[in-house]
Amino acid sequence: MMNRIAPFALLALAVALYFALPYNLAFLTRILIMAVLVLSLDLVLGFAGIATLGQAAFYGAGAYAAGLFAIHAWADPIAGLVVAGVAGAVLAFISGLIVLRAHGLTLIMLTIAVAAICHEIANKARDVTGGADGLRGIRMEPVLGLFEFDFVGQTGFWYALAVLAAVFTFLTLLTRAPFGLSLRGIHESPERMAAIGTSVYWRRVAAYTLGGAIAGVAGALSAQVTQLVSLESFSFTLSAEALIMLILGGTGRLYGAVLGTLVFMFVHHWAAANDPFNWLFVIGALVLAVVFFLPRGLVAVPTALKRLGGQNAGS
Amino acid sequence: MTRAIRAALVAVTATLLPAASPADTIKVGVVAPFSGPFAIYGKQYQEAVETYVAQHGTTAGEHEIEFIYKDVGGPNPDQSRALAQELLIRDQVDYLAGFTFTPNALAVGPLIEQSQTPTVIFNAATSSINKESEFYLRTSYTLWQVSAPLAEWAYDQGMRTVATTVTDYGPGIDAENAFKAAFEAKGGEVVDAIRMPLATTDFTPFIQRVRDAAPDAVFTFLPGGPPTFTYTKTYNENGLAEAGIKFLGTAETEEVNLQGLGDAAIGLTTAYHYSGAHDSDENRAFQAKLTELFPDAIANWASVGAYDGTHLIYQMVAAAGTDGPAAVEAAKTLEWESPRGPVKMDPETRTLIQNVYIREVARDEATGQLVNRETGVIATVGDLGWDK
Repeated sequence: MMNRIAPFALLALAVALYFALPYNLAFLTRILIMAVLVLSLDLVLGFAGIATLGQAAFYGAGAYAAGLFAIHAWADPIAGLVVAGVAGAVLAFISGLIVLRAHGLTLIMLTIAVAAICHEIANKARDVTGGADGLRGIRMEPVLGLFEFDFVGQTGFWYALAVLAAVFTFLTLLTRAPFGLSLRGIHESPERMAAIGTSVYWRRVAAYTLGGAIAGVAGALSAQVTQLVSLESFSFTLSAEALIMLILGGTGRLYGAVLGTLVFMFVHHWAAANDPFNWLFVIGALVLAVVFFLPRGLVAVPTALKRLGGQNAGS
Repeated sequence: MTRAIRAALVAVTATLLPAASPADTIKVGVVAPFSGPFAIYGKQYQEAVETYVAQHGTTAGEHEIEFIYKDVGGPNPDQSRALAQELLIRDQVDYLAGFTFTPNALAVGPLIEQSQTPTVIFNAATSSINKESEFYLRTSYTLWQVSAPLAEWAYDQGMRTVATTVTDYGPGIDAENAFKAAFEAKGGEVVDAIRMPLATTDFTPFIQRVRDAAPDAVFTFLPGGPPTFTYTKTYNENGLAEAGIKFLGTAETEEVNLQGLGDAAIGLTTAYHYSGAHDSDENRAFQAKLTELFPDAIANWASVGAYDGTHLIYQMVAAAGTDGPAAVEAAKTLEWESPRGPVKMDPETRTLIQNVYIREVARDEATGQLVNRETGVIATVGDLGWDK
């Protein structure tokens, strides 16, 4: 029941926020884009159990692919999303073939290394990427030939929301399909899955590739809305923040990923707006509180409350 | 009980209602890093802006001026654009300011072009930013502006061969190109152009390579802070000064980190547009007010960029109020005496035409502090990188 209502509640919340905060559409759009990235991480980490701190590699690859495609080939946003998705997938597939042979800490280090290498390539190839100055000159055509990207950010918001909803639906279907269930099985016990004849390595590569494609789409959204791509889209900070949002919301649940992003970005925005100088304390306290009291993330709040209520009734 | 509730209600309404303000308040949005590793920039800007406001009041012409600060964290164009959008749409600012990193400044280009918002760059030093929109104005400097005169000065001092060592990132490469172009145009020779990774902590191999090449001087560009410290230390320990290889730099000896360099820094030569030790009444008045408001504050190039930027905004507001295009027009002909020396807005590049000073680090007898002692003006130039 909960599973059926939650996505619609989130959709309704997004629409409500659009009307409640008409002046903050740029900020809301950034939340939507981050949610797509965190969802991709949820697929890779939450479902497939691949510990990664390098999801920004595919986000950045998607952002640069979409930016370069818009500048040199075709400025259609949807085509850009497809190109970025393919770019993210290709990079994830190739790097996944290598890094997924490792496990645990080695795997984490390798994923960080992939993102760092991408960062350095983008830095060195100044003629193509603009280096540290960023890739500029991205001018997008209207979405579907109808909706021009406007100054206030209305088109950007609905566009990002539509993409987020599509990604969410796709992942919901995927996690219920045999493939998704096999990933969950691999997460729980790789040995047993291997014993019943599942090719664990290739399933993980497939999940990693899909996650790369979705992260690429998130990168493309950011490139199209901001009209600029910088080296920071490959940064470690981005990978780490996405991971914090996922842990905050609860791994292995799709609406947990969205909720975590929403809460993190809102607290971040609210705290930074009220005290632009010391707001990091608030974020630190929030993360600590969640890790200590809700190790399974914010989605576990109802369960935790129920348990608390049950204890009180019992005593 | 009821009294308490009533008091609480009054308090709540008081905070909810907008504070009574004059009908005409012009808002300026300052986008800068106030948290994280680059927070020093935000701090320097804010102190300088408040110093200017304390000296000149909160009114310019017939308008009240109010500053709104937004934290962008670091190089983050997405955030920069989102903050600028929020400032323009929700807070209804008429001017934007700040911008430490080039991508952050570039990200707001399409916005300020559409909303016709004059945007004063306090730091970002890549020449090409101002080409993206007519509404960019810059009160800092560009890398070409200081590196090229330094190269010419070095040649005139009789140096014929130079090795360049720059950090391998955007500004470092710009500095290398600028120095090389100017030095070779004069007839000098760059014997070795070394690019050092951004994360370098041990400069010995690079310094050793320079020593082996034995040029007349070594030109360097490093991001401020620890790298500069380690680099100058390695320069001294390897005896380059004794070997007759002169140090040529730009921002390496900036005031905030200067004391930390210690005696090793004495004698380092740099070319730059602002020294905290600049000998003028304007500079003394600026620093006196700054330390009166913020006892721990140290003025450096970021402070003076923000201070002059605030001056520029006051002048634009006084001349044109909220009319963006008219404000930029008015700014184009401005000249004033800044704490760094005389400055003039270049109407074409919208970057300041200013003196580039040659300085040597020395210990001030009176205070016992290290200072950048200006020994002369080597050029009065605008943005030399505009056509490059």
